[in-house]
Amino acid sequence: MMYLQMLFTFFKIGLFSFGGGYAILAMIQQEVVINNPWLTEAEFMQVVAISQMTPGPIAINAATFIGYQKAGIFGSLLCTFGVILPSLIIMMIITISYLKLRKLGWFIQIFKRLRLLSVGLIGAALIMIMGNAVKDLYSVGIFLACFLLTWRFKLNPFTMLIAAAIFGMIFGTI
Amino acid sequence: MLLRMFFTFLKIGAFTIGGAYAMIPLIKREVCEKHAWITEEEFMDGLAAAQSCPGPIAVNISIYTGYHVRGKAGMAAAVLGTILPSTVSIIIIAMLFREYADQAIVRRAFTALNPAVVALIAVPLIQMAKKSGLSLRNAWFPLAIALAVGLLNISPVYLILLTIAYAVHEARK
Repeated sequence: MMYLQMLFTFFKIGLFSFGGGYAILAMIQQEVVINNPWLTEAEFMQVVAISQMTPGPIAINAATFIGYQKAGIFGSLLCTFGVILPSLIIMMIITISYLKLRKLGWFIQIFKRLRLLSVGLIGAALIMIMGNAVKDLYSVGIFLACFLLTWRFKLNPFTMLIAAAIFGMIFGTI
Repeated sequence: MLLRMFFTFLKIGAFTIGGAYAMIPLIKREVCEKHAWITEEEFMDGLAAAQSCPGPIAVNISIYTGYHVRGKAGMAAAVLGTILPSTVSIIIIAMLFREYADQAIVRRAFTALNPAVVALIAVPLIQMAKKSGLSLRNAWFPLAIALAVGLLNISPVYLILLTIAYAVHEARK
């Protein structure tokens, strides 16, 4: 039963993941933290951090990680399969039918609207994790420093996260 | 041929750290120029589909290219290549994490990693907002979405379906 639930949940996440990586975070969090008791909020943050330091799309990394935590290697393969299944079906249909989406008026309109929606979804992810992660002077300082480094000085996310991890190991208190 | 496709997408998958957008030029170079599997025109059609259809862009473009060139076998080779680096590395990390997650040094690292992750989401929010044609007139829409999903926990599923329905309605006018 849990296997089916996991497969179905990640199928749903894959089916509604528009607009790339960050837009999908809010949905993943709703599904695996709120709707299913698979991860705590702190564990969810860990998954996001780890996803950003390893190759591959966030949706796949999250699926593999959560699947492994809940049901070992089989679980990780199951969730990964679930999350890419919608892509396989939809992209296959488009490829076979030689659909030229970028020339279809209604499709361009959908894409345009969804792009604006994606901005809102990233905002939602921010709201959902903000309170848990940025709560005292220490974390506000780190947030601001990391924000400026990546935004203004174009530091790549990988380097930034490694630097943050080392900083935390030295100065963090638990 | 299948092997070459597998290894090409393995390379693409292995270097997609932190977002597919940076990888689009690499994918294009590999599949259009180096291997000449598809023409640039076909790639642009595939890319438009990959970006606007659900699922990770890198996975979508590998399905498109793989199927285009060698049917289902090509698709399987390309997709496996794309997801293998992330699946393997995440499984290894998840294994290690189970052992070491409670160690003091790991927990200390996460005291700084957590706010860093928030920053990591805030930056693309600004970049996406710029690219999506956000203005004072339409800013209410993403704002409403953010509050509905982030505070009221409304599922993005309904909002996505509503948005698609509205866009189709708009286009038919």
